[in-house]
Amino acid sequence: MKVPEKGCAICQATWGDYWEEIEGQRMFFCCDICAIEFRNMIDEVKKRKGWKTVDEIKMTGNYRGRECTALYQGKKYGFNIRFDSKGGIDLFTERA
Amino acid sequence: MAGRSDAGHVMWLNRNITKDRSDRRTLSRLLADFFNLGSGSLEGWVKRRFIEKFYGSSPHPFVLSLQNPSRAVLLGYVVEHQHFLRQWVRSCSYIMARTDEMDVVSYELDNINTEYGGVGTGQPSHYELLLRMGESLGLDRKEVFRMAPLANTREAIRVWDSICRDDHWVEGMAAMHGLELIANRRLKGEGASIGYFDPAILKNEEISDQAKAFLREGYEADVGHSEQALGLVEKYSRLYGNVDDVQATFLRSIYYFDLYLMARLERSRQFESS
Ligand SMILES: [Fe+2]
Ligand SMILES: [Zn+2]
Repeated sequence: MKVPEKGCAICQATWGDYWEEIEGQRMFFCCDICAIEFRNMIDEVKKRKGWKTVDEIKMTGNYRGRECTALYQGKKYGFNIRFDSKGGIDLFTERA
Repeated sequence: MAGRSDAGHVMWLNRNITKDRSDRRTLSRLLADFFNLGSGSLEGWVKRRFIEKFYGSSPHPFVLSLQNPSRAVLLGYVVEHQHFLRQWVRSCSYIMARTDEMDVVSYELDNINTEYGGVGTGQPSHYELLLRMGESLGLDRKEVFRMAPLANTREAIRVWDSICRDDHWVEGMAAMHGLELIANRRLKGEGASIGYFDPAILKNEEISDQAKAFLREGYEADVGHSEQALGLVEKYSRLYGNVDDVQATFLRSIYYFDLYLMARLERSRQFESS
């Protein structure tokens, strides 16, 4: 999976030092909450699309809400997501 | 702490100071800037931080929903806010019990009356107006009383209770009455991107009169409530020399307020299909 070169895979922060293996890949996060968010997001996309994995997720926005585009084998899937304070998915809407 | 990935600390730094890992010197300069009142007042600082968090470029989702609220959003408001208001009286009572300043006591008495006691039948309390709003939307007050708070509400209430019980009463005042800024319509002239709700809805026919009465009450009372209290906080924090503590406690309070507002939305989903 392609992740940003620098910083946390969710929020791009370069603070912290939290590593977790997701989809067989060791990834950097600023904290455990961001790691939980990332894992939940990937699982949700796989479940909704029936994809085996995800190649990349492009993201804009901030903790109030993120606009994302997931990519897998040339396919695109647009959605908006917001997490609760524990990293669970609070809101997930598909974008046309 | 940030180096060790403590989620609470890292998240706070990310959202308030910087996302870029910085050395000790840079970080302490950034932190000093964040807390610095400069030539301004504590009241100005409190408002600035409040606006950034709830009314900045990404306003709080609950505020966005309240611009033109659905029945479900208003009902979510009713159910969670009953718990908030019951804590409100407890918090104000702690402040009163722990201060000897008569202007503070008078302020809190008046606040408790408008929020909770009401003055005769002509002037029902915010609490009563809240329950009437629920009833006008088909939710009986007996039903409301039966509903326990959601986890975020419960957690926030626990924090406000402990602040007002254990910390200095000036911190308690900042923690509680700083929150009344949420309905302070003057913030729009001070940098807020939107108001608590769009005042045009006070003329909207789809919104019940009881809902309008509740919203209008906060709209009218909370400019005074919040600003008068912040004036007292300013005065006494300088007298007691605890401005730093007041700032830190205020930030802690708005962190939990953010979660509490999310709980109103979470609750509203329960009413979406009904
Ligand atoms: Fe008020
Ligand atoms: Zn992060």
